Amino acid sequence: MNTSVPVQPARWPGSSFARRLASSPAVRVSGRRLLSAIPVLWGVTFLTFLLLNALPGDAASALLGINATPAEIRSFSIKLHLNEPLWTRYGHWLAAAATGNLGTSLASPQSVASIIGSRLPVTLELVVYALIITFVVSVPLAVLCARWPRGIIDRLCLVLSMASISIAPYVLGLLLVILFAVDTSIFPAIGYTSLTTSVAGNLHTMTLPSLVLALPLIGFYTRFLRADLLEQMQSEDYIVTARAKGVSEWKIVTRHALRNSFIGLLTVIGLNLATLIGATVIVEEIFSLPGIGYELLNAISNRDVPVVEGIVLVFGIAVVLANLLTDLLYGVLDPRIRHVRSRS
Amino acid sequence: MSVPAADLLATVPAQDLAAGEGAASRARGWLRTLEIVVPGSLLAVLLFFCFIWPAIYHIPSPTVGDLLQVNAPLWSPGHILGTDSVGYDIMSRILYGGRVSFEVAAAVQAIGLVVGGLFGMAAAYRGGWTEAVLMRVLDVFIAFPSLVLVLAIADSLGPSETHVIWALSAFSIPAFARVARAATLRLRDQPFVVAARLSGTRAWRIMFQHLVPNMAPQLLTFSLLGASLTIILEGALDFLGYGIPPPTPTWGNMIATGQSFISVFPRLVVVPSIFLLVTSICLNMMGDGLRARWGVR
Repeated sequence: MNTSVPVQPARWPGSSFARRLASSPAVRVSGRRLLSAIPVLWGVTFLTFLLLNALPGDAASALLGINATPAEIRSFSIKLHLNEPLWTRYGHWLAAAATGNLGTSLASPQSVASIIGSRLPVTLELVVYALIITFVVSVPLAVLCARWPRGIIDRLCLVLSMASISIAPYVLGLLLVILFAVDTSIFPAIGYTSLTTSVAGNLHTMTLPSLVLALPLIGFYTRFLRADLLEQMQSEDYIVTARAKGVSEWKIVTRHALRNSFIGLLTVIGLNLATLIGATVIVEEIFSLPGIGYELLNAISNRDVPVVEGIVLVFGIAVVLANLLTDLLYGVLDPRIRHVRSRS
Repeated sequence: MSVPAADLLATVPAQDLAAGEGAASRARGWLRTLEIVVPGSLLAVLLFFCFIWPAIYHIPSPTVGDLLQVNAPLWSPGHILGTDSVGYDIMSRILYGGRVSFEVAAAVQAIGLVVGGLFGMAAAYRGGWTEAVLMRVLDVFIAFPSLVLVLAIADSLGPSETHVIWALSAFSIPAFARVARAATLRLRDQPFVVAARLSGTRAWRIMFQHLVPNMAPQLLTFSLLGASLTIILEGALDFLGYGIPPPTPTWGNMIATGQSFISVFPRLVVVPSIFLLVTSICLNMMGDGLRARWGVR
């Protein structure tokens, strides 16, 4: 046993806070993750650049149309700097992007940042609305399934979730259009009203698209949450304690197990976000919503490289941030993980 | 601490087992088997009608329309599922379109399995910087919205079945690499692999004779689930106009062309949608069923 008084490091009020912050596991984890995200994001933009340049045709001929003369195309491509070598163009783009400047669209005088700024809210609303629908439906369903495993509700949910996971978004979208817009005109088939114009009108136009995004998620999350709940109910000590205290089964599921299962659900949402973003492209195309995916399809067919790069970068950053946020929340919600991490 | 908990819990499965000793467990076993047999035989029937039926029975050509018989309803004589707006027979387009779907799915999964599986296994077995580089490359593919990648590749190669296969492989290769890597990491330090290594077995022999048989069930079930996704994605490419263009029939482009007539003839969309959905459900169910049976995660 060492009996000597441990030497306390000298403390200054200002720097101790800074040191505590720097040694906080959350900050360390986010710092490391954000640093390791940089090569990944660079790879994504580089891959996009190579791919877009491998496409036949370029922005000059795509934008001028088929009636343009070769001379017009040549002068236009000089104006767009398309005559410079690939590496120079990518270097210019990368240098500007590193300082936060995403450049100007080739198709319009608008800056890429302003295009993304005007389109992103639509896509974000779509994703958030879909996630809200998913939660409202799948949490109660999963609780019912876990309360009576192998019961009628459970079996029905299993079949329905299998169907909802297997359905293609374009198929689901068109079937919902047939049901709700053609046979009964409850919701419009296409069109968009912004949230600032009219909240009711906005919900009216966004409900069908959000449903298309939400239905496969409902199937997936219900099954996931049900499995996680059952695992909690069967193997965790605190459930046994609660049962021994005489807490009712309902309360055990909704108060004790559900809280812990939310942690698992959270990670799945973080991981799912990339797929969800991919699906918004199709949904926006079906319902012609002016979101970022719709813009992306336009920009690809126009060979509008800066816009595509900007959108792909936004998608990449969204995925990286979502994964990071998930990891951090994980530590906040489950103290066991936080302590293990800070010790290591 | 955990002993009483384990005791309490032990009673639950024990009761379950005692009750399930007789008819109930046999019924559950049957149900398990049915879960695999029913979708499996449905798929077999679909495959038979897509690939063999047109050879032994005369069906109308999928790309020769009869302009006198446009938009025939369901159950018309000679056209069981009716005709579309150009007079093409829908049944025959469904069957030939199914060929495309199954061919693309099989090819994409095979390419992913061989290329991605080998990469993932070799990288994880060797470890070190090979693995680190591979993982970063996989991260790029995962952070990349898959649909964008597939669209760009499909657009740059031009519309054809082979090109769609290449484009979708860009999606299946990293997925298989991840699964194979995880499986290899799990197996690498197992006693039987260590024993093989200690007795001087060559690396390639360990990989192909010890690792591959042990991860085969996992990769196989994964490829069934992946095939369902591939069929959906192939349809998405057709739907967005980057896939296989008409008049070649595919389920995706049938749905896309049917979209313009959705308010007048919803069946032009509904019929191919049902086939797409049933195929994808069957593949998913079989994948899930086999996964449960073989006990792989």
